[in-house]
Amino acid sequence: MTSIRDTDRWRISRDRVLLYVRALNLPPYKGLDLAVESLKRTGPSSAAESMESLRALLKEHGLDRGVLDSEGKHLASVPPLNRSVMVPEELDRVPWRTSFVQFLRRWKNDLFGKGCAR
Amino acid sequence: MTAFELDWSRSAGRRRLLLIFLVLAPTFIACGTMASILPSRGGSPLEIVLLAVFAVLFAWISVGFWTALMGFFLLLQRRNRYSVSNVCEGLGFSIENPHARTAVLIPIYNEDVKRVFAGLKTVYDSLAATGSLDRFDFFVLSDTTDPDVWVQEEEGWHRFCTEQDAFGRVFYRKRRSNAKRKSGNVADFCRRWGKNYRYMIVFDADSIMAGRTMVRMVQMMEARPDIGILQTPPAGVNRETLLARAQQFANRVYGPMFAAGLHFWQLGDAQYWGHNAIIRVEPFIRHCELPRLPGKGPLGGDILSHDFVESALMRRAGYGVWLAYDLDGSYEETPPTLLDELKRDRRWCQGNLQHLRLIFSRGFFPAHRALFLNGILSYGSALLWLAFLLISSAQAVAEVYLEPVYFLDTKTLFPQWPVWRPHWALALLGSTAVLLFLPKFFSYALALLRDPAARLYGGRLRLACGILLEVALSTLLAPVRMLHHSVFILSTILGKNVGWPTQSRDDRGTPWADAVDVHWWGTILGILWGALVYLTNPSFFWWISPIILSLVLSIPLSVLTSRASLGKAFRRAGFFTTPEETEPPLELRELAKTLQEEAPYSPLPLSPRQGFLRAVTDPCVHALHTSLLLRYKKGAPAREEARQALVEKALRSGPDSLSSKEKMTLLNDPFHLAELHRRVWELEDDKQAARWGLSQPSVD
Repeated sequence: MTSIRDTDRWRISRDRVLLYVRALNLPPYKGLDLAVESLKRTGPSSAAESMESLRALLKEHGLDRGVLDSEGKHLASVPPLNRSVMVPEELDRVPWRTSFVQFLRRWKNDLFGKGCAR
Repeated sequence: MTAFELDWSRSAGRRRLLLIFLVLAPTFIACGTMASILPSRGGSPLEIVLLAVFAVLFAWISVGFWTALMGFFLLLQRRNRYSVSNVCEGLGFSIENPHARTAVLIPIYNEDVKRVFAGLKTVYDSLAATGSLDRFDFFVLSDTTDPDVWVQEEEGWHRFCTEQDAFGRVFYRKRRSNAKRKSGNVADFCRRWGKNYRYMIVFDADSIMAGRTMVRMVQMMEARPDIGILQTPPAGVNRETLLARAQQFANRVYGPMFAAGLHFWQLGDAQYWGHNAIIRVEPFIRHCELPRLPGKGPLGGDILSHDFVESALMRRAGYGVWLAYDLDGSYEETPPTLLDELKRDRRWCQGNLQHLRLIFSRGFFPAHRALFLNGILSYGSALLWLAFLLISSAQAVAEVYLEPVYFLDTKTLFPQWPVWRPHWALALLGSTAVLLFLPKFFSYALALLRDPAARLYGGRLRLACGILLEVALSTLLAPVRMLHHSVFILSTILGKNVGWPTQSRDDRGTPWADAVDVHWWGTILGILWGALVYLTNPSFFWWISPIILSLVLSIPLSVLTSRASLGKAFRRAGFFTTPEETEPPLELRELAKTLQEEAPYSPLPLSPRQGFLRAVTDPCVHALHTSLLLRYKKGAPAREEARQALVEKALRSGPDSLSSKEKMTLLNDPFHLAELHRRVWELEDDKQAARWGLSQPSVD
């Protein structure tokens, strides 16, 4: 004979298991069957035990594999990668200075030859 | 360069020369008039500064005036040989080439998820109706940082794909890092999947486009391989606040004329506005990746106003950037309140000022340098206006206290009498008013030429009244905007950086407390400014009284214009009516219908907005979220321990004890999230379980 406290725990377990199967996207009969089965398996027990039993049942029925696509494959929200590279464009923000430096370099090369830089 | 490119570039050159002449000649005359009005004929240092500021401002408003006038005459013509839409004449709404695939990109950042997917559904259905849906794929590109919104987005995507059978056509990607913000988000797409597509149409979170418009855009790009970016002019829709309705009205009445005017002198050197545009992907990948600007501070780092730079880079690479000014079916939503508008402007202001560092970059076309300058002046002009008004006030006060100089250093026959010529001042004021307001009259004339009864605007009288009301409202708000834009510029220059705030896209009004918080100092400034001028030089006070009045009333103005009830009252009276309100297009009707749909059934007492809780508690949402997480590798023991500690903390103190960052950490970790899910459902204590949405159903 179960005590009042055990009865309360069992009710909590029942409600928890029922709530879980209601939240699952399953056909109504299927969800209720699973809930009943899990409660039968554990008897008067805590929510943790009932939920563990339910999870084991879900696994047995192959309902714990996450969200799958129409072909039963792992759902992906993006297409397969097809990589390319994007290199930042050079933005010469001081073209007048660059031009001046290039002018000096040309002038030096003209005067002393290219080798002098080394 | 093809013959057509040579043709349009020569035409553009001639048109720009004409524009420069039309802007500079009146500016020169106006400056002469202004100088003659001033007491020292522009001879004192203060007057020289005043004249310089005046010249820039007069030229600035002249550009707008002549652009509008050019648009007016362009729209009067039956045919424009440079219009991009000419290539679609005689074409149906199909895209022949199967390789001309287009990705529709919807970059989002902590947006209203219901609105995002309602918009997506609208566009998706509209494209399906054209029969060309198979040429398009959709990418919702999330940069969201709010854990609740992230989970909502995943749910929204999954529900949409399930309902529409759109798996493999509609994709969702969540980026972990928000590097380079929106431009980085789009670039990330380009790097991962850009090679799969010839074109991409970039949306904003609130963009809506008709399927026919999108097909047309692809057809135009197919027919014109020289185009790199094709921009459409989006019409403002769907807002109900007074401010937003006035802006929608202005956008709809004046917008087409200004867009045509911009097209007239820009031609293939147009600007990309960041959304509602189609882009050729391959050159975009090759040439349009943005560098980080070196240095710290607000003018360094990521380029915020990326669209300007991307269009300049595309043009530099040899591709045209065109504005399809005559293409309709493109919509966006405007900021609902003045505060939201100012928040957005703060970001744009910093972005545009960054262009100061790019304006002389090598290889950009002169037209794009001018557009950089135009962007800078969009906000810089506010500071100049403020400087102009303050200097004028200082001059007026100085007139009272300083004795005029009758005899200059150089010997003259007669003393220099200060002369006040009010009729010249009035003429100058009048010419400025003409530049500002005449384009609105042209818009009215254009609307009547198209439809003499102006039925879509509620009739001729209501259209005219709407224009007058819009002029009054924008005149009242202009000084408030001027003051804030000036502060934005100064704070940017002083090194205050702007974050990336989420944009508000609903019609909630501005509370009085928020308005006081933002506008109190402007109000006090207005009172002090007005009092000082009135007490020292009352005759000048009346010249600046509109500015003073606006500043003093800024708090009630901000609150009242944010009221949807007031906007609706104007709507009932038939003012600010737009064609999209009189005869809503199918897309907007569908959007409204979708937004009315109720949230799907859930036995758990959790709101759809409680995304994190749902990912932990709701087994379906949890399964979806963990399925969508990319490959996850367990980290170093210290990191795993820290995450385990988060799980314990969540169980012990409930979900509210977790910060947003901690929630994101758990959401990014499928193992610890699964453990949390399992242990939450095993909680024995009723109160603890209720914190996770596991309240006991009444079964007995």
